[in-house]
Amino acid sequence: MTVARVRAAALAILLVALVAVPWALPALGATFWVNIVAEILIWSLLAASANLLFGFVGLLSFGQALFFGFGMYGVALSIEAWGFGFWPALATGVLAASAMALVTGVMAVRLTWHYFAIITVVFSLIFYFAAMSMKWLTGGDDGISFSPPSVFALGGHTLSLGDATVQYYVILAIVSACFAATALVVSSPLGLRFKAVRENDRRAALVGINVYATRLIAFVLAGALAGASGALFAFFGRYASASYMFYHVSGEAVVWAIIGGSGTILGPLFGTGLLIVFRELVSTVWEHYLLAVGAITILVVMFAPRGLAGAWNGLVAGLLDRGAEEPRRAAIPEES
Amino acid sequence: MSEYVFALAVNGLVWGLIIALIALGLSIIFGLLDIINVAHGDFFMLGTVGGLVVAVGTGSFWLALLVVPIVGLLLGAVIERLVIRPTLRQASLTIVTTFGLSIIVQEMVRATYGPQPRRMAAPIEGTVPVFGIDYEIYRIAAAAFAAVCLIVFFLFLNRTRLGTWIRAARHDPETATALGVPVTRVCAFTFALGTAMALLGGVIAAPITTVEFRTGVDILPFCFMAVIIGGLGNLQGTVAAAIMLAVLEGLMTSVLEPTSARILSLGFMCAVLLVRPHGLFAGATR
Repeated sequence: MTVARVRAAALAILLVALVAVPWALPALGATFWVNIVAEILIWSLLAASANLLFGFVGLLSFGQALFFGFGMYGVALSIEAWGFGFWPALATGVLAASAMALVTGVMAVRLTWHYFAIITVVFSLIFYFAAMSMKWLTGGDDGISFSPPSVFALGGHTLSLGDATVQYYVILAIVSACFAATALVVSSPLGLRFKAVRENDRRAALVGINVYATRLIAFVLAGALAGASGALFAFFGRYASASYMFYHVSGEAVVWAIIGGSGTILGPLFGTGLLIVFRELVSTVWEHYLLAVGAITILVVMFAPRGLAGAWNGLVAGLLDRGAEEPRRAAIPEES
Repeated sequence: MSEYVFALAVNGLVWGLIIALIALGLSIIFGLLDIINVAHGDFFMLGTVGGLVVAVGTGSFWLALLVVPIVGLLLGAVIERLVIRPTLRQASLTIVTTFGLSIIVQEMVRATYGPQPRRMAAPIEGTVPVFGIDYEIYRIAAAAFAAVCLIVFFLFLNRTRLGTWIRAARHDPETATALGVPVTRVCAFTFALGTAMALLGGVIAAPITTVEFRTGVDILPFCFMAVIIGGLGNLQGTVAAAIMLAVLEGLMTSVLEPTSARILSLGFMCAVLLVRPHGLFAGATR
């Protein structure tokens, strides 16, 4: 077995498990957990957004919540104001976030290192305060709620988000599409440019890569991912609130991405899953579970900076290497 | 109306001096260890909570003013050893470690002190007429005390051997090591000192702000504005920027909502970051 085959098998198992969730969990008497898995899928896109910038281009953004918020309000306001359907509203959310990422990115990606982290926080804070004070538009802290339109209406049949199973599959389909798109981008020539810029921007520039444009493209793509996350979360919660634009939300996304394994495609999904499952299990018995979250964050940076996915990849590679080496070692005495 | 504007400006000056103290702590940590300490605002919050608890427990605010910063110095030394030093190699991830630290500090305070915001009685009561308005004496005393602390800090940095070591280690750690400066220990002390300054600012501010586990989240962006606009690592610039920003925001709130004033200063900070990334006063230090 090669590493690629093990990974393909693991991916297939993961997909089957995710598809089986709406049947398997209620059968185990855990209907409540279907929505938790849906929530994990949604938030993992925000973590993937932070990861695309940090793990693949080397820019640590603490402001992805801004684009999450634009995705949320793009959905909520377009449904409230113009009576948009599901897909146009989703597109509005993603486009609003991408446009905002383009406008802020033009300025932000001129900076790197700590300065980039700070300016992304500042941008998200500006719009957080603005959204908090423009209550007539955003509803401020309380937010605005809406009733979601149906996903499909064909003849007499409608698919509506009111059905938890339909809602789960819609979310799973969109999140899977986003992760597949990320994987495609990362393995394309553009993805190679991302990595070149991450490893050494000066050398990347010397071999003819436009570093600024590469960073800007990554920033807009990451904005689109965060926007998709926010748009789905708006549909999921049936509301949009300015409180989700605060920089603590961005910080959580970065933590999820790093615990899951930055620089890998599915790492953010595992990190988000681990921490949300942890929250659901522990917060009911221990009110101050956040103490453990903070400690886990620090310990991961200290001892496993490549995260869960990094540890898994190391494990797979290590096991396969040993498997490949053992027969060879056994073969030597036979030959001699 | 003009008295009102004046009061807002004085309020800004008082807050500016206190924030200058906290932002200086942030700035020396950044300058020497090259880390962005996201937990710095929570150390300030720890100072306000510690100030209130000690003052109520012992009945003496002045004891709190003495004890809490010393506790901060020890706490900073322990945190540097346990959390900061082991993760310094992952330089770009120190923001993440300090974010984890910030979560822990907030949650610890919420677990022990409780989630409700409280207010603290000023240790010096009474008001004094200043240009036609009755102004709280404690606020003036707080500003004066913060100013004294700032002067003592700069004297320490420029006139003592430890202060010289800090400046030397910041300027060129390798040469400093070669000349016998214990750079690792100087770094530890700098982190502890920065932490103690945040806690000291917290004790001074405790009687004029609400005391709860979230206060640090509000103060952190302001400290960062001061550090950035003053120029990262430019200590005098940080002080000047903190005072200038606080007074300007105070004046702006006479015509604008407080959030609009905050948005304007954040926008100003963006402009500084993009146009003069080494700060407003970059030319002056050269």
